[in-house]
Amino acid sequence: MTLRPVGRAWWWPAGLFALPLLAALTLALGAALDAQAWRRLLDDPALWPALSLGLWVGAAATAVSLALTLWIVTHLHGSPAWARLERWLGALLAVPHAAFAVGLALLLMPSGLLLRLIAPWAGWDSPPALATVQDPFGLALIAGLVGKEVPFLLWNVAAQLRPVAQATQLRQQLQAGQAMGYPAASVWWRVLWPQLLPRLALPLLAVWAYGLSVVDMALVLGPTRPPTLAQLAWSWLLDADAAVNAQGAAASLLIALLVAAGALAALLLARALRAPLRARQVRGDRPAPARTAALVRPLLGAGALVYAAVLALLAFVSVASVWSFPALWPQRASLEAWSTVVESLPVLGDTALLALAASFTGVVLAVAWMETTPPAWDRRAAPLVFAPMLIPGVLLVAGLYQVALRLRLDGSLAGLWLAHSLFSAPYALVALAPAYRGFDARYEQTARALGRSRTAFLLLIKWPMLLAPIAAAAAVGFAVSVAQYLSTQFVGAGRHATVTTEALTLASGGQRTLMAAFALLQALLPALAFGAAWWVARRQSRRLGTEA
Amino acid sequence: MTPSPIRRRLLAAGALAPWLPAWRSAHAAADPAAWVSTLRTARGQTVYFNAWAGSERVNAYLQWVSGEVATRHGIKLEHVKLGDTAELVKRVRAEKQAGRNQDGSADMGWINGENFLTMKREGLLFGPFAEALPNFALVDVAGKPTTRIDFSEPVEGFEAAWGMAQFTFYGDGKRVPQPPKNLAELLDFAKRNPGRFSYPKPPNFHGTTFLKQVLIETAPDRKPFYAPAPADPGSLLAPLWRTLEALHPLLWRQGKQFPASNTVMRQMLADGELFISLTFNPNEAANEIAAKRLPESVISWQHAGGTIGNTHFLAIPFNARAKEGAQVVIDFLQSPLAQARKADIRHWGDPTVLAVDRLPTADKALFAQGAAPGTVMQAVPVLPEPHASWVEVIEREWARRHGQ
Repeated sequence: MTLRPVGRAWWWPAGLFALPLLAALTLALGAALDAQAWRRLLDDPALWPALSLGLWVGAAATAVSLALTLWIVTHLHGSPAWARLERWLGALLAVPHAAFAVGLALLLMPSGLLLRLIAPWAGWDSPPALATVQDPFGLALIAGLVGKEVPFLLWNVAAQLRPVAQATQLRQQLQAGQAMGYPAASVWWRVLWPQLLPRLALPLLAVWAYGLSVVDMALVLGPTRPPTLAQLAWSWLLDADAAVNAQGAAASLLIALLVAAGALAALLLARALRAPLRARQVRGDRPAPARTAALVRPLLGAGALVYAAVLALLAFVSVASVWSFPALWPQRASLEAWSTVVESLPVLGDTALLALAASFTGVVLAVAWMETTPPAWDRRAAPLVFAPMLIPGVLLVAGLYQVALRLRLDGSLAGLWLAHSLFSAPYALVALAPAYRGFDARYEQTARALGRSRTAFLLLIKWPMLLAPIAAAAAVGFAVSVAQYLSTQFVGAGRHATVTTEALTLASGGQRTLMAAFALLQALLPALAFGAAWWVARRQSRRLGTEA
Repeated sequence: MTPSPIRRRLLAAGALAPWLPAWRSAHAAADPAAWVSTLRTARGQTVYFNAWAGSERVNAYLQWVSGEVATRHGIKLEHVKLGDTAELVKRVRAEKQAGRNQDGSADMGWINGENFLTMKREGLLFGPFAEALPNFALVDVAGKPTTRIDFSEPVEGFEAAWGMAQFTFYGDGKRVPQPPKNLAELLDFAKRNPGRFSYPKPPNFHGTTFLKQVLIETAPDRKPFYAPAPADPGSLLAPLWRTLEALHPLLWRQGKQFPASNTVMRQMLADGELFISLTFNPNEAANEIAAKRLPESVISWQHAGGTIGNTHFLAIPFNARAKEGAQVVIDFLQSPLAQARKADIRHWGDPTVLAVDRLPTADKALFAQGAAPGTVMQAVPVLPEPHASWVEVIEREWARRHGQ
């Protein structure tokens, strides 16, 4: 092993990652830069209403998710409830976005469970004309996004705080603050969050990008008139007409530009707020403990209840073939959906193997990148590395598919592996980077001073200490691979079925029993991966004696 | 309708030797020697059939076909499952752009309408082949003219008819005891049951088809709609927009929101949120009842003056690797055996393209099945689709008036 921070070794991970990506981006952007497509897009009367709605949904979902995350962590971290929450986060993350949307709709929609429960008292024999989902302001969609993004952000915060050095530092700062008479929450706001928030920038960017480009959840929960810009772009990209496709590519690029503009605006805002916040930080007053703290647990309880109801409803409707309003019990039940699932079980193994290969490659690339890339390049290359997260997937898949066609990799497993790795790697890097950047350099100095080689240091000290974030990164990469649809269908020429392609092709028929059963199947593999990552983290923290 | 004596005689010959040419036309002829050679080359080929896979019953049917063509013709049929047929169009187009003129990833596809038009115009289809297939002779080209005209584009042998579709409404008989038999009655129903009917938001295919139905049904003169749309349609579309203006306030969410698709509408109907839904498969409700996903009290109906109908097809991409295998599979899919199984509600319930009344008795018997609950009780005339150029006109104007 000759990984060195100097020399040219870092070109390898960078090149392996960047070359196919750059090629894909060039081809994709070529399609999106067509002047005529932009003219068509800007002339389309549907553009502006959809654009405003999309921006509103993305911004509101990001802001609410961030606020809830900060609030929950501030008041819960360090308690047994936090440990319990941490254990369940993987399971929450594993629920596919679309499945969560379907489950949430089953709960909220006019013919959903909640309104069935009050129907006898309200005297309804048909679902009431209430816009509880697909409301014109996109509130149901925002709620769905928040429900999925808060666990994602919490998972990222937990990943930041889990490594030994960070956990120790956090404990010391909290103790010091409290010793000086500050309530814990106050220490969080004044000392801990200012350090942690910059490290949450990338996950937040991912949340913002996702909120702007989400399609599957919007189809279930979002309004149709106008729809969000992402939905419009998606329908244009799916059109058989090449000119409409080009308009869709232009709209996707517009979404990517909006993501970047939003990120820039947030950055400028953070910079402008730095001085007033610092003034507040060092003011020295000792505020009374916040009263809202008491609300955290009930809110989390409600959140847990929603997740439980979503999953239970999915399981329930997977066998409830006729379940008309206002009955609480289905009129007809059938196991047909599950027998279709059983027929699709052979693809489970293929899906897992592909995801293992992709997440392994993604993690190796991420580790190699972190070990070898000079810090200056690390910063400079960041936009490229995160491109797959920020550019709407459709656009990137189109470029990647062109690359695969030219290399004759389309329809092959090698091409699929390449495509999935490319999508997994940046997520693995995001999950890994904070722990890597926060790793105390003195460990290496000590090891080298004691005469250990760098290889020995990596194998015996650094990587074991970082095993938890590495496992977390692998789980995220695994889940990303499992969730791939477009790249699997195009690069794989539709010949290699995965759980997700089976689920989504069947979902196009709109059979709810099938969608529900497959959603649960789709959640299975990522749940196992996140469970394994959690188990590794716990075992490691026990071994290193830092039960956080 | 009575078949010509020549055709009847040739049909009898066809029944004796299924691979013999059964019918000759001026354009194409099934050449027995060529077909024998096609059968020989096809043996051992793998055929990647790119087909929408949103129905587990369709998928199960294709699995049965795959077993049949393996034992009959030694062909390995792989169902490439698509969520949207446009994926196929895009893939073949991208392959052409990348210079992949042979060894393409798709050997055959299930297409029609806009996807066919696009592929034919862009030279993405292999052919003409369809009228040279032995079983083409059995297709009811006279009684079902849409088997040769798709989206007002002449098929010209670039795709082979597979199944029939006709615009159909359905609803729970308990909620809709007297199904509306025309637009005026539909409007009456909506007045009495506000918020219980809708249509998918155009350009969704079923939504646009509803607009076409309203267009044709309200037109004082239908002729202009079967010719290319003029640059300025003037007052021709006025009855359409007038009807929609009256209808929209009575729709689900007062027409301020529209369901995304007819499958969403089917679920809303099953849940009780909508009372009337729409489909292009006259047997859809019957299929869903058979699959235990709709109550047995659901009934289907069509407007008495006729409803829009069309055909869905099988095509072979220009760069397919197994063109022979694909033709053999397509010919099998047009055989009475495969068509009868497809038409059977227990398996799929997709109406046949064959002229059943002209089939030999044994084959005709394959199609005999009792009335299933939910099927359309009274057949109505098939109205051909308006000229394809009208689609863009009405979709654009709809988006301007109601889209945002």
